[in-house]
Amino acid sequence: MSVEDLTANTGGLAFGARLRTTWSARSGQERLGLRLLLPVFGLVVVIATIPFILAVYTALTSDSGELVGLRNFERALANPRLVEAFKETLIYAAIVLPTEILLGLGLALLVHRTVRSVAIRALIYVAAMIPIVIPQVAVGVVFRLVYASDYGVLNLVLGKSGHDQILWLSVPSLAMFSVATVDIWQWTPFVYLIMFAGLQTVSQESVEAAQVDGASSWAQFRHIELNYLRPLLLLVLFFRIADVLRVFDHVYVLTGGGPGATTQFLSLYLYDVAFKFSDLGQASALAVVVMAAMTFFYTVISRFLPAERR
Amino acid sequence: MKVSRFRAALTAAVVIVLAGCQGGTTGSSSSGGGGSGKLTIAAVQGVEDAGLKALKPMYKQAKGVDLDIVESPYDDLYTKLVNSFKANDATYDLVMMDDPWMPKFGTDNSLVELGALGISKDPDIAQVVWDVGTWPPPRGAVPPSEKSKTPGLYGVTIVGNVEMFMYRKDLTPTAPASYDDVLANAKAQNNGGVAGYLIRGKATNPVVADFLPILWSFGGDVFDENWNVVFDNQQSVAAINYLLVDLKGTAQPDPANADAADRDRLMAAGQGYQSSVWPGEVNTAVLGEGTTVKDKVAFIPIPKGPGGKGVGMMGNWMLGIPKASKNQQAAADFIKWMLQADTQKSYAQNNGIPSRTSVLKDSSLAAANPYFPVLADALQAPPNWRPRTDQWNAVEKILGTHLNAGLAGQETPQDVATKAAAEVRTLMKGAGYPTQ
Repeated sequence: MSVEDLTANTGGLAFGARLRTTWSARSGQERLGLRLLLPVFGLVVVIATIPFILAVYTALTSDSGELVGLRNFERALANPRLVEAFKETLIYAAIVLPTEILLGLGLALLVHRTVRSVAIRALIYVAAMIPIVIPQVAVGVVFRLVYASDYGVLNLVLGKSGHDQILWLSVPSLAMFSVATVDIWQWTPFVYLIMFAGLQTVSQESVEAAQVDGASSWAQFRHIELNYLRPLLLLVLFFRIADVLRVFDHVYVLTGGGPGATTQFLSLYLYDVAFKFSDLGQASALAVVVMAAMTFFYTVISRFLPAERR
Repeated sequence: MKVSRFRAALTAAVVIVLAGCQGGTTGSSSSGGGGSGKLTIAAVQGVEDAGLKALKPMYKQAKGVDLDIVESPYDDLYTKLVNSFKANDATYDLVMMDDPWMPKFGTDNSLVELGALGISKDPDIAQVVWDVGTWPPPRGAVPPSEKSKTPGLYGVTIVGNVEMFMYRKDLTPTAPASYDDVLANAKAQNNGGVAGYLIRGKATNPVVADFLPILWSFGGDVFDENWNVVFDNQQSVAAINYLLVDLKGTAQPDPANADAADRDRLMAAGQGYQSSVWPGEVNTAVLGEGTTVKDKVAFIPIPKGPGGKGVGMMGNWMLGIPKASKNQQAAADFIKWMLQADTQKSYAQNNGIPSRTSVLKDSSLAAANPYFPVLADALQAPPNWRPRTDQWNAVEKILGTHLNAGLAGQETPQDVATKAAAEVRTLMKGAGYPTQ
């Protein structure tokens, strides 16, 4: 079935005619490109658009299928647990995002400027890949062996050196720190890899010229390298914010959201509402709200991307 | 009509997507429940279905029917069943259900009434075992939407689980009769190497399961008969104080992050004096391989509270038949076969936890299962069940979060009672309950 055939049944004659005109005005190469994109668009519709429509529909209906207007949204937004979960997620994001970006960037600059051996760079590359490819549940289990109060490695070391046990996962501030360090351990290498790749694109002539002029390391970074890295930093921020919103596995394994609600992040809260309380209406309303907020947020962030990358 | 068809299609689509997302499931997949000579059972992964798996070859030999046991972890199983029932999916002929799930499945009319398939009560099985599988519940508070329904049997217990109490009989030969004794012993036995009481205090379900027998034994509760929240009354606050202040003062160093496995490990290593315990944990964990406390632990019913009554908690696993199953009679025949005395004995010999009183009191089984006679008595007591509402998971989340915050030192016992009660009230009112 051609695109012309598809448009013939739209019912909107003017729209169909306009589309036909647009279609026929394109070159053969462009038409081929668009046809090749169709499967991808289809996939996007199946895995993103349809579930979103389902979520909106579920958010507007009760369990028995009756339309309930915005009642599910009202219930979702009025729940004090949502505010708590949002607050904890913000705290978590405020800890992990700057730390990962600064550490990853610092490491990339260090390796870029000091390591010249290709073999060692490859070795670092492989080492950086390892945390990224480990399933998050496995990471959670491993770090439980690190942080557990009575059999964890950290407390064993502390005990051997004559110190008291620390309740890493039960004291609220330490529990947040503990789950955040797991995230930082796993995802700093991701930031490193992207920043390091970005640094390879920096013009060597510019750097050498700056060095000849006596520019300091900071000045080199501030005035030359950062310009190349800025879009990549935004890209990293894009991915990491999305990941922070979805953080689940290692937190679930380590603390289950506790102590109290200290590590009860949005994703864990949503999971509870949807799958433990079987309240799909409220969960869908929450998902729609979060998606709308993130769409707005990403639209704002994307204004800072260079025009050609938008 | 159009809307309901559309919704059915949507639900089916969601189930397909969710089924694709399910992880950690083991067991062979099913081709659907339609074929004769095969029953597909959705089971929970763990010690709870060990006996069921042992019965599989026996049933094949006895009746020529294959059992396809599809295992899922606890949380996955619940989600899977909810989605499967919503989509009217015929994959499963039998489903294992934790008893707090009965209100959800009963309210949603997801299961077949078993009496109509020839399953009748047997006096050798405690009345409470039948009652917990009955919907709406024959006693206690009934959800407003369910009051007009006629009670029927929708689940039959296959794991007769009642929370009990364990203590080190080698350290104190006399069993604690009351929670006063429990505290006195805890203080006396608490030292650097042994915790006076092992608290299972991890957030949500673990801490609530540990606490409810204490709450009930102190005369407190979550709801009264009319769904009014009483979690902040005097008796409930006393029980919360007992857990968060008295017992915590003698507990292991990290009670707020301890689940059943941690408690059992400490008990098996000789680092705990006493705690509550589920039957399923006894042989596999507390007295399992590598234990240092073999023959040193005694099992007793829950000690008495200030009112002179000790109240255990049920955690029965039941078998039910989904309405969509195409093999309903064959599934019911399996349940009947499983409840027979000789099958129950084989089941018990293979790590199953029976519910038949004569089997629990069978002296030939007592050596390997020292808690069986206590379990028989605990079932006759009878124990309490968790409030029969489809909102229980949300209620448990609220209670468990605040109790855990109390154990972590974030909230005082009074805060726990007040905040949890207020949140539960809001939740229940929103769900249409006449809660005050």
